[in-house]
Amino acid sequence: MVSIKTSYTKMKELLGIDVTIEELDDLLAFAKSEIDDFVEEEDMLVIDIKTSNRPDLWCPEGMIREIKGILEQEAGIPQYEVKKSDYKVVVDSALASTRPYIACAIAKNLDLTDYSIKQLMQQSEKIDNSYGRKRKRSSIGMYNLSMIESPIEYKVIDKSHKFVPLEHEEEMDLPTILEEHEKGLEFGDIVKGYGHYPILLSANGTTLSLPPVINSNDVGRITEDTKEFLIEVTGTNYETVNVVLNILCQTMVEYGSDIYSVEIVYPSEIRKENDITPLLEKEEITVNLDKINKYLGVKLTSDEGIEKLRKRRFECKTIGKTNLEVKIPPYRKDILHWVDIAEEIAIALDYNKIGVTKWKVITKGGLLPETESENKVRNILVGSGGIEIFSNILTDPEILTTNVNMTKVDLVNLQNPVSLTYSVLRDKLFPLLISVLSKNTHETYPQSIFEVGEVVKILGKRVLTQTNASYGFAGAEASFEDVHKRLHMMLDLLDTEYKIESISHPAFTEGRSGKIIIAEKECGIIGEIHPSVLELNQIWVPVVVFEIQLPYIPTLNCKKKFTD
Amino acid sequence: MSNLEDKVALPPEAINLYKKISSLKEISMKELEKEMQLDRGKMEYFLSFLISNALVERTTTVNQKYVLTDAGKQAAEKGLIERLIVTALLNKQSLNFSELAKILECDKQEMNAGIGYLKKLGLLQIIQGKLSLLDDKTKINEAMQEVLKELLKGNEVDITQHQKELIQRNLVFVDEIRDSILKTTIPYSKSKSMITESVDISRLTPAMIRDGSWKTTKLRSYNLDGAPPKYYPGRKQPYAQFLDEVKQKLAAFGFQEMRGPIVELEYWNFDALFQAQDHPAREWSDVYRVANPKLGELPKENHVKLVQKAHEDGYDTGSKGWRYKWSPEKSARLVLRAQGTSVSARTLANLAVPSKYFSISRCFRPDTVDVTHLSEFNQAEGIVADTSITFRDLLGILETFALDIAETDKFFFKPDYYPFTEPSVELSVRDPKLGNIEFGGAGIFRPEVVRPFNIDVPVIAWGLGIDRLFMVKYGITDIRELFSHKMEWLRSAKMS
Repeated sequence: MVSIKTSYTKMKELLGIDVTIEELDDLLAFAKSEIDDFVEEEDMLVIDIKTSNRPDLWCPEGMIREIKGILEQEAGIPQYEVKKSDYKVVVDSALASTRPYIACAIAKNLDLTDYSIKQLMQQSEKIDNSYGRKRKRSSIGMYNLSMIESPIEYKVIDKSHKFVPLEHEEEMDLPTILEEHEKGLEFGDIVKGYGHYPILLSANGTTLSLPPVINSNDVGRITEDTKEFLIEVTGTNYETVNVVLNILCQTMVEYGSDIYSVEIVYPSEIRKENDITPLLEKEEITVNLDKINKYLGVKLTSDEGIEKLRKRRFECKTIGKTNLEVKIPPYRKDILHWVDIAEEIAIALDYNKIGVTKWKVITKGGLLPETESENKVRNILVGSGGIEIFSNILTDPEILTTNVNMTKVDLVNLQNPVSLTYSVLRDKLFPLLISVLSKNTHETYPQSIFEVGEVVKILGKRVLTQTNASYGFAGAEASFEDVHKRLHMMLDLLDTEYKIESISHPAFTEGRSGKIIIAEKECGIIGEIHPSVLELNQIWVPVVVFEIQLPYIPTLNCKKKFTD
Repeated sequence: MSNLEDKVALPPEAINLYKKISSLKEISMKELEKEMQLDRGKMEYFLSFLISNALVERTTTVNQKYVLTDAGKQAAEKGLIERLIVTALLNKQSLNFSELAKILECDKQEMNAGIGYLKKLGLLQIIQGKLSLLDDKTKINEAMQEVLKELLKGNEVDITQHQKELIQRNLVFVDEIRDSILKTTIPYSKSKSMITESVDISRLTPAMIRDGSWKTTKLRSYNLDGAPPKYYPGRKQPYAQFLDEVKQKLAAFGFQEMRGPIVELEYWNFDALFQAQDHPAREWSDVYRVANPKLGELPKENHVKLVQKAHEDGYDTGSKGWRYKWSPEKSARLVLRAQGTSVSARTLANLAVPSKYFSISRCFRPDTVDVTHLSEFNQAEGIVADTSITFRDLLGILETFALDIAETDKFFFKPDYYPFTEPSVELSVRDPKLGNIEFGGAGIFRPEVVRPFNIDVPVIAWGLGIDRLFMVKYGITDIRELFSHKMEWLRSAKMS
């Protein structure tokens, strides 16, 4: 999801009609967008756009383009003329293995306000961050054309090269920019990975930018006085670089600008032929309307299909009886398959007007045997007075180790935890019960609690998920009997024989705890929590617990689930 | 009432209790519990004699206690972030971001929050990437810092002045402690003469029934007005109970349950769902990666190769695919299940047709835990597969969910986006108080998703935001309460 800020007045202006906030929100749905917030005093709208594959929608003009189609104010692919310029970009073959592609255009006759510059910057930033994969796949640069002379060089340069980066006053060499400039710190790793420094240079020697990191402070500074722009997109993916340029050109046209092309001179190591960008050839896809009708559950004629697609800003014509040849606007690269066209038709039909149908095939439903088994155990424990608790599976390592006197535990932990409190997966439940008891010492005793839930364990090189059940009893009078009788009753109801053998476990008092054995396999623990653990957790009454691994109870249907 | 008009018969324990309260004039329930060494239930029982005879009166008190959150503890120990920044800048005059980060040794997000805070107050400027103070305000939030320190020591401190900000910044939360105060209305010394000790004839014994002595014994009337002793029966956790109900409804609609592991291969979480390997949802910031072991083993089946082809060139679907070199290593990485759809993906490998499936599964995302975010949450997910099924049928299924699970007829559809479905739709419900709430999402699996599993029929994928639904139904505003460990709530939350 992408979120942008814009003005309500601006949206109405672009739309050409007066709409309430609610009406606007309803219309935005057709552009897969919605109003997240509206600050009336500041005329500010925050709009969330749900598509990660439609960067053309990430600006007010893009969303309005879609809505105008739906409102039938406009139809088909927006057209504009591209004039030829004398500008050229020469690409260095050394970039072939790092950041080889560039697409450029020139926008003239622009009359930007401070606000529209901010909007344009917002659009670039959103595209760079998400669609450009934080500038790794593509990044946008905009420059004051009047300071640039052709041919522009896109080449590798020595690290000693110096220029004044945006928002600074002194010249810096390239490594210093990466180490000290705000943007260098943010995006420098991309360039470091290349092992060399890409640079854009004007024929007069001035630096345009160090792509994808930072523009220069003079050529690369856009103000209200800038009337002629050079727009440039560099990147690692040819298609991405070009579609991003197309999106920007389309937006610029809607700002009232004229677009001029730029020739890109590629070395043979990168591309066989030169480009004249923007590349506005329209991609085509042929779809079968019968298939689409069946897929959606509708019956559209070819004419209706064409009309719906024109509403969605496509051009199309019939081929034969039921095929449609669909031309895709050059600012879109998200159409991979005819199902994508099917969706466009469905949106044009309006999800809320297309009419729902009821699929009436009968299927047999039910819970999994393991869920039924867990429910049996939960019901028994509720019947024995247990209050069920629900705790986090992703939890605090302290709860599972030091808080219960344990040190070496093989826990699944994470490469990227957000905080230590949520950084390991629980491998057992009873320490979580101790944690619950420690938070409730001001409540009436006795406290009788349980959890039946999933735990995760490492077994050699494999990881498995299984369900355990743990019950705890705390109170001035709590004794081994309180858990023994419940475990016994539970296993007896489940028709399972078991043994308890003495165990030495750091969380429990020796001689007052044991392991639970079913069919010769150790599968649980029962006993009195060691006073030192109680002291540590500030629980001032005795606590007894048991925990049992449900896959070991033969009359239940609980299984270990391995991740493979 | 100053005097007793009638004689009162009380059980000896109640008289003892009365004496005790009278000797102290006023005592809290908790202290009394300690003093008398009686459990709460018995105490309530004997108290009820004193209260119903107006010898003792009881008032309930609610004490608000302010407790530090984890972040609050840190701020109390290390200092509030804005203060740390000010101190750092005072010493060094001006610093760039990375220098400041080094000095502070805190995470970037926290640092930025502190910088933003100071900027908003107009105390800090950023010129050419250098931060410096506009004003020598070392005293910023000094009082607040003191308050945090006192709270850390466990001392009582007046926080009224800072209360709003501390709570907003998630440094402090409010804990309510309930107790009641008992007071004698007539001191024992004054009513003593009117009180008699009742013989224990409250209990009908087996012997009395057998020997017939019940016929000549007068059993004491029960006190029907008094509060009974507190009793907490075993019960299911309210949210777990709600999930059980949703499962039962789905089963009744003909959905078969499915399950998957918590630690999941990226293959099932993303690749099988046609999410390109450089998709932003697969980044560190969006999915938890397991550190040990880092990698799992890809399934041996042929579908792995076909999934690869679907990514690279669309396989036999006619799709363009994502056109990049697919990496089996990335696919074998282990993650915490980030979306319930991974369970559906596993089911595609052995799909029955026609069929309907559901799963309620715990999913994990690297969010900072707050009022609206948890590090883990529950997703209801499922699929429906049949030769005859259409997009309009999908809308019909969503309609059923709105009517029978969300229990509302105020719902509507919106176009949506998921990488694995086309068309995709959002189900929103209109809540009279909360406005539009996104309740579910659905779509038809793309051919690039189902073809590698040799499926030729449309397969609908759907998901429901049940955490949110539960919160709306139960009027819960803080999502953390779903996993609340407050005994009071676990014992007494209404079942409604």
